[in-house]
Amino acid sequence: MALVGIIANPASGKDIRRLVAFGSVFDNQEKVRIVRRVLLGLAAMGMERVCYMPDTYHIVERALRRIQVPLEVFPADFRARGEPSDSTEAARVMEALGTGCVVTLGGDGTNRVVAKGSCAVPVLPISTGTNNVFPAMIEATVAGLAAALVARGLVPEEEATFRSTQLEVLRDGEPADLALVDAVVCDDVFLGSRAVWDIAKVRQIVLNRAAPGSIGFSSIGGLLHAVAPDAPEGLYLELGPGGRPVTAPVAPGLIETVGVTTLRVLGVGDRVEVRGAPAVVALDGEREVEVTGRERVSIRLSPHGPRVVDVERTMAAAARRGVLAPRRRGGRPCPATPNVPTS
Amino acid sequence: MSITREKLVDAYTTMVKIRTFEEHAAQLFAEGKIPGFVHLYVGEEAVAAGVCATLRDSDYITSTHRGHGHLISKGGDVKRMMAELFGKRTGYCKGKGGSMHIADMTLGIMGANGIVGGGPPLAAGAGFACKYLGRDDVAVCFFGDGAANQGTTHEAMNLASCWKLPVVFVNENNRYGISCSVDRATCVTDIADKAAAFDMPAVSVDGNDLMAVYEAASEAVERARRGAGPTLIECKTYRQRGHFEGDPAGYRSPEEVAEWKAKDPIPRLEKKLLEMGVLAEDRIREIRAGVLAEVEEAVRFAEESPLPDPSEVTEDVYA
Amino acid sequence: MATMTFADALNDAHRIEMRRDPNVFVVGEDVGIYGGIFGVTKGLLEEFGEMRVRDTPITESAFVGCAVGAAAAGLRPVAELMFVDFIGVCLDQIYNQGAKMRYMFGGKARIPLVLRASCGAGIGAAAQHSQCLEAWFMHVPGLKVVMPSTPADAKGLLISAIRDDNPVVFLEHKLLYATEGEVPEGECTVPLGKADVKRKGEDVTVVATAAMVPKALAAAETLAAEGIGVEVVDPRTLLPLDEETILASVKKTHRLVVVHEAVKFAGPGGEIAAMVAEKAFDYLDAPILRVAAPFSPVPFSPPLEQAFIPSEERIAQAVREVVGA
Repeated sequence: MALVGIIANPASGKDIRRLVAFGSVFDNQEKVRIVRRVLLGLAAMGMERVCYMPDTYHIVERALRRIQVPLEVFPADFRARGEPSDSTEAARVMEALGTGCVVTLGGDGTNRVVAKGSCAVPVLPISTGTNNVFPAMIEATVAGLAAALVARGLVPEEEATFRSTQLEVLRDGEPADLALVDAVVCDDVFLGSRAVWDIAKVRQIVLNRAAPGSIGFSSIGGLLHAVAPDAPEGLYLELGPGGRPVTAPVAPGLIETVGVTTLRVLGVGDRVEVRGAPAVVALDGEREVEVTGRERVSIRLSPHGPRVVDVERTMAAAARRGVLAPRRRGGRPCPATPNVPTS
Repeated sequence: MSITREKLVDAYTTMVKIRTFEEHAAQLFAEGKIPGFVHLYVGEEAVAAGVCATLRDSDYITSTHRGHGHLISKGGDVKRMMAELFGKRTGYCKGKGGSMHIADMTLGIMGANGIVGGGPPLAAGAGFACKYLGRDDVAVCFFGDGAANQGTTHEAMNLASCWKLPVVFVNENNRYGISCSVDRATCVTDIADKAAAFDMPAVSVDGNDLMAVYEAASEAVERARRGAGPTLIECKTYRQRGHFEGDPAGYRSPEEVAEWKAKDPIPRLEKKLLEMGVLAEDRIREIRAGVLAEVEEAVRFAEESPLPDPSEVTEDVYA
Repeated sequence: MATMTFADALNDAHRIEMRRDPNVFVVGEDVGIYGGIFGVTKGLLEEFGEMRVRDTPITESAFVGCAVGAAAAGLRPVAELMFVDFIGVCLDQIYNQGAKMRYMFGGKARIPLVLRASCGAGIGAAAQHSQCLEAWFMHVPGLKVVMPSTPADAKGLLISAIRDDNPVVFLEHKLLYATEGEVPEGECTVPLGKADVKRKGEDVTVVATAAMVPKALAAAETLAAEGIGVEVVDPRTLLPLDEETILASVKKTHRLVVVHEAVKFAGPGGEIAAMVAEKAFDYLDAPILRVAAPFSPVPFSPPLEQAFIPSEERIAQAVREVVGA
């Protein structure tokens, strides 16, 4: 029986960018309301089973309190520790259960740790964080419908999804971590509060996607050379004095002009060495990897990122097939306007 | 904001000092040398040390039941603290306050507080005084997840936000108000989420990570100093011991306690400082030995100090 | 001397102190634009500006606590609690924090705070806007409690209270606000802890507070015509209590009636009576009587409210009883 997973990160939307930039606040009750709408969408599209990540805020359990849905909703079987690794573990469990689609609630960071657990299951990312490129701001009801369409195979995966590229962090040549949008090398020695906001500390930027209309470091690249998320290329930028000035929205409410001294288009498999130590590599906006100088750290563009559900494409495919608008018997099309009962 | 190596060493030393002080206090309490109650800060050291590393003497703090860590971090003298725990005349409060009421107005320490939620309005007042007098000092209000549900806390946050007061509300979410877990005490268990009601920026940080606390606090303090108003910082942490010494803490599972002990802030910072080359093993041993000597000296001082004379009972009621 | 109302005299005291000391500020509900619900702070906003005359949201714990914190940090706040009845929602900040900080900290804090509040029945404001709760505050070491009865005392005592380095609860009976009297101009102080003999007499000492003082004086006038000399003593400050003046009067008259509007049971009169019994029992020629409110909440309906408030006649009757007339 088809299964959808839900990974809702209770920690997203609260980091220091609310303080150092003007990031939106996304409280957990809002995530509860989003999950509620996802569940209603899933149920409406005929899903019967939903597996979710247990979390400290009990987001999914709370979502269920206010609705009656004919769904079997059960937690992934592991003990939540209130840490990012919960999302990784949940993704792993969901893949093992044969989940057809995983809906995530969070930001780039959340999806990154989900991808660390599984890249095989199509992921439908709903943005609840700040500074996001990977997940989209989409209506959860529609997301629920789309997730069910994919999980139940009502629209073919190749029409509904695309395969994202990703960045692999290699430590002495061995994969150590990954990023879904950007890997940024900065002058820092601590992971600390994790977010990166001081552009002056940034030396190198590696991107696997870059759009001029996005927010964050990928926008810097995007303003120079756009890279689609499924295109087999990436970008490498070096920042420093004397470079080409680029004015970009590097964080919510923070528009900075940076000097780009080097811009190189990367192909799949290309590798960028992290230079200088000590340093910290921030992955998708969060300081994650400490570079001490005792080992070689590099970043490689990989074509094997997660499969991503594109809600627009999914719904368009469903429309083409009339999944939500079946033709009447006899082949006559439905009336263009709904029937309004009159008394 | 970057932290200097010197500050890192100071913060580490402070954390070790708090731990050492608390471990001695626990032992002395068990031996019956300390009367009354003591509520120990073991496991939460990174919060006080990280926040107070961003403060100066003229800044204010209001504290809680669990105040020893705040006092030491703000520069309190462990000799006079220990003497106060013993109820001695040489203590910070001449033996009149005890563990729950130690204050040092010269260091802006407006007192530990026996009332949960007693401190936030006082912090708003201290912040108001700074603003009124045109000083760029700030007031930091430490409060727990228990106090996060008190009306006074919400009233103070509202007033501080409404008046743009230089106050930083530092929530120590150690997950329990005595036995009542945060999940049973509120439906909004991320205390940072509550700030939205006051249009106050809020962040949630790993309270067992000194650097995370320091970074958030330095931004919030800087924001307060430049007149941009209050901030709420939620520090997720854990008290490794019971609510008070003698609390068997049967309301927590051994697994949970073990999980949090594995996240102990002190070894974590120590490891980092070693890796960074900020401290070497021998320097760490030196710091630990120095702190131990200081605390042992404090115990000796407390033990040898005189008790107050019964005639002092009515002194200091009025100015 | 100028003739002014009790409310204007308080207003004058605020102005004088705020002009003299830039650290004095006023904080409370409707103290600014509105000028105080009883008009005590009117015009202060215009003269001293928003930083020093702070309208607050309806948040008694926050602003009373804020005043305590500001006092600890070096300012001299005058906080107005609109009705003393509201003390219940913010009591912790005054009795556990403000009153005890100095002692708990071993004498190392100063809390120069005045908490002004209206009190008393007589305007049909019912049970939650009419109480006299001075006994509650008298039970808290660390506080001072002031309760003036005349415009001149109100001004002089408020100036002293503002200059005092301790938290002072300053209780203003709302029926007195409109009363007029001669008030010294400019800076004038009435010391805290000093009672005032409002009328001299030889036969009975009547210790009365706040709105009971004019009633006691009126009763004394009636009794004088009956040949009974009543000495009316107004303690003005209930904490610290001027025992000396009260004892001196009792030692002269040998009879004591204590009058207050607070309920009789465990009211301030009990403390005064006990003090006299302990220290001047041998001088007493008759049992001490107390005239006070019955043990009920303050009622609303005018006849009930009048039955609640001690009357001039009840005072006179008590005096007649102690002299055996």
